[in-house]
Amino acid sequence: MSLTARNTSSLAIDRLCDQARGGLAVAWLYCDYLAQQEQTVINIMGAILKRLVGREIPGDIRKAFGEGRRPLLPDLMRILKEAIASLPQVFICIDALDECLPKDLPELLESLKEIVRESPRTRIFLTGRSHVNGVIQKYFREAVAIPVSPKEKDIRNYLEMRINKDDKEDAMNNELRADIVRTILEKMSDMCVEGFGFPLY
Amino acid sequence: MRWLSPLEPENRHDGVRTKRFEGVGNWLLETSEWREWREGKGGADKAVLFCFGGPGVGKTYLR
Repeated sequence: MSLTARNTSSLAIDRLCDQARGGLAVAWLYCDYLAQQEQTVINIMGAILKRLVGREIPGDIRKAFGEGRRPLLPDLMRILKEAIASLPQVFICIDALDECLPKDLPELLESLKEIVRESPRTRIFLTGRSHVNGVIQKYFREAVAIPVSPKEKDIRNYLEMRINKDDKEDAMNNELRADIVRTILEKMSDMCVEGFGFPLY
Repeated sequence: MRWLSPLEPENRHDGVRTKRFEGVGNWLLETSEWREWREGKGGADKAVLFCFGGPGVGKTYLR
């Protein structure tokens, strides 16, 4: 997932948490292709429920799940939807949807749609590569999509920061530094032109 | 709580924000799209805001 999108997700989460007052709740998940096996829809929805109910699972929820047995998705969704409906407003942020297993994506979006159907004030913030837009639009026809491609200045700053952190300082000089930045920027603008057509401005 | 889900998004968020690159992405929070989404106007139809990026500055690429 791109630096820009992940950065944006974490900023969005912090901003929402800062503004969350009077029972507004924020739940999130960062998808990771290294954790695909764990990132099942039931585990994602379970993580959102954990966040919303806080540290202690209320007794009735524990009871509904048969005291710690692994829940089934319909039961979990019922309880999650009740928990969300009992709050004034819930924000759900899911970063890097493209790092979910493609087979999980429709079920995940369907589950989110179920939540919104029941609690229309729920807001959902998603990030991912552009190719997942198609499947998102299938479930949320009026989803607003915004490109967050990095600006050249951002990439330059990022590269400078990474080079400064490099521990092989002796091998670094200004010429090499400039060369690294220039080469990466060139390669990236090629990728953008060929693959996605995002301008690097 | 692990029986409910083994995922630990709060820990992950702490990890991501400590590595956050300041100044990248802030502009989104100033857009009208963000504001309108955040204010919850438009009900269920306008529930989703999707930010998409290309493989541009992939973490894998720069690692």
